[in-house]
Amino acid sequence: MKAEYLIVLAVSFIAPFILSFSKKMDFYKYSLRLILSLGIPFVLFVVWDFIVTSRGHWSFNPNYIIGLRVFNLPIEEILFFLIIPFCGIFTWESVKYFTRNYK
Amino acid sequence: MKEYTILAVFSIFLAIFADLVLKTKLIRNKRFWIFWGVMFILIFIVNGYLTWRPVVIYGNEFFMNIRLFTIPIEDFLYGFGLITLNIVIWEYCTRKFTKRSESKIT
Repeated sequence: MKAEYLIVLAVSFIAPFILSFSKKMDFYKYSLRLILSLGIPFVLFVVWDFIVTSRGHWSFNPNYIIGLRVFNLPIEEILFFLIIPFCGIFTWESVKYFTRNYK
Repeated sequence: MKEYTILAVFSIFLAIFADLVLKTKLIRNKRFWIFWGVMFILIFIVNGYLTWRPVVIYGNEFFMNIRLFTIPIEDFLYGFGLITLNIVIWEYCTRKFTKRSESKIT
């Protein structure tokens, strides 16, 4: 199915996204914090991905991507570098919350 | 050494370097390693699926072809570099912005 990579991203994203609005964490308290912590690694890793994809480090199975590309990268691969870090930061905040009494 | 292997290791050095320079001290924080225990499982599921189908196909001459299930070990290093860098910047900003808003109150 063409949408498979996109579905994997959506499934990863849905629960962290909804729960990120929980009042128990101040996830959106500083919008600049979210922009910088997602944005700086995003630029770095997408540039890396553009270069190594054209060198042949990896390729994307045309059966599982919708076919929209930015230069040589499927749109899914670019979204990956925002969605997976978002899930990572959410998981980090969750671990901090659940270990708040832990020294 | 293969290109992807070198770059993946480099991304870890970059994240650790950022942690040291920005003084976020995450690599010495126990909760950070608990976090990575959880993340490892989540990455294993998502990346496991992507490499098992496979959605992403790896060029043989660029990685060592040592895999955990279907996941190249370089992917774990690279994921660690990426997300640790996200968390380092997040924690750095948290400290900066919290201090600033506290000083506004007083």
